[in-house]
Amino acid sequence: MPQFDTHFFSSLIFWEVVSFGILLWVLYKFAFPPILETLEMRERKIRESLEQAERHRAEAERKMQEYEAKLSAAAREAESVLAQAKDQAQRLLEENEQRLTAEAERIKADAAREIEHERRKAIQEIRNQTTELALLVAEKVVGRSLDDADHHRMADEAVQAVAESYRKG
Amino acid sequence: MENPLHPFELHPLMPFSLFGLDISPNKAVLMMWVVIALVAVLLIKAGSSRRMVPTKLQSLAEMLVDFIRAVILDTMGKDGMRFFPFIATLFLFILFCNLLGLVPGSYTVTSQIVVTATFALTVYGMSVVLGFVLHGVKFLGILVPPGTPGWLLPLMMPIELISQLARPLSLAVRLFANMTAGHVILGVLFGLTLTGGVLIGWLPFAFTIAMNALEIGIAFIQAYIFTVLTCVYLGDAMSLHGHEAHAH
Repeated sequence: MPQFDTHFFSSLIFWEVVSFGILLWVLYKFAFPPILETLEMRERKIRESLEQAERHRAEAERKMQEYEAKLSAAAREAESVLAQAKDQAQRLLEENEQRLTAEAERIKADAAREIEHERRKAIQEIRNQTTELALLVAEKVVGRSLDDADHHRMADEAVQAVAESYRKG
Repeated sequence: MENPLHPFELHPLMPFSLFGLDISPNKAVLMMWVVIALVAVLLIKAGSSRRMVPTKLQSLAEMLVDFIRAVILDTMGKDGMRFFPFIATLFLFILFCNLLGLVPGSYTVTSQIVVTATFALTVYGMSVVLGFVLHGVKFLGILVPPGTPGWLLPLMMPIELISQLARPLSLAVRLFANMTAGHVILGVLFGLTLTGGVLIGWLPFAFTIAMNALEIGIAFIQAYIFTVLTCVYLGDAMSLHGHEAHAH
């Protein structure tokens, strides 16, 4: 095999060592540091981005839960406020109705009482006047000897007096 | 028919010697220069772009670098990153030698046993030196697998010694043989295509296409195997018997 021809060994070994040495030095000096650094930077960046994304997601979830809780609390509160308002309105309505009914009732009762009072007073008055009139008539009848002319006159007078008293009353 | 081993022959392009050592450049040396120039340009250009969203070239270089980093972290742990420049350069050098060797008319540097042997001995030598530097005489304990009963020691130690010595040998021969065999097969198939003519020649020619695709895969796999074994040997030397690093 030509590869076992020792004639080229010295040259191959020498140039292999030299070439490899040069390549090693060049890469070590100029290529590996930036490439490794870029790789590490990217790894770090990806890791950080993932962590950040995870953090954001967690925060978003937390916020959403918070909002949902707030929203449902607000809905509950609105419901309770509404119910309360309805309740109050109902109570006010009922109260008003009751008050008005009571007032109307009272006014009616007052009016009835007054009417009754007036009626009684009127009756009492009529009775008093009638008695007075009768007494007057009796006095007149008893106080004089009466003739026919007197009868007529007295009757007229009586009628006139009654009419007058009515006019007055 | 053409000799399938012919493409592996080397000829000095011009005589050149240093302190009496013949270092005349030949086709393989030329290919090494092409490889290091290509790798250097590719990686420096990729490294200079440093974008968060990488360019295509940057993506490719980062993929290679990240791949090597993953291999090192898997086999040696975080401490192994000290050897990153060496291991990465080794991987890139071997990978591009393997791949460029597939270009018709080029030369596969890694099909030279002396090239692979130099890498293998360097790697193995590094692992031994590293072991003794880190663990002193206790590094000889690598010859005693953990849990060996005392009476088995006389048997186990020679076996372990042989397995240790087989490491550089297998490392060198595996890469060389794979690269050589692939090109020999391609050469034979091309020879058959030429001699078979139009009537039957298309069959071996179709095989060369399939074989070329396979060879690209093999170029990657062999570079990967060489790199992984380098990591394993260095890792073994760093943590005796791999108690710490191979805990997973």
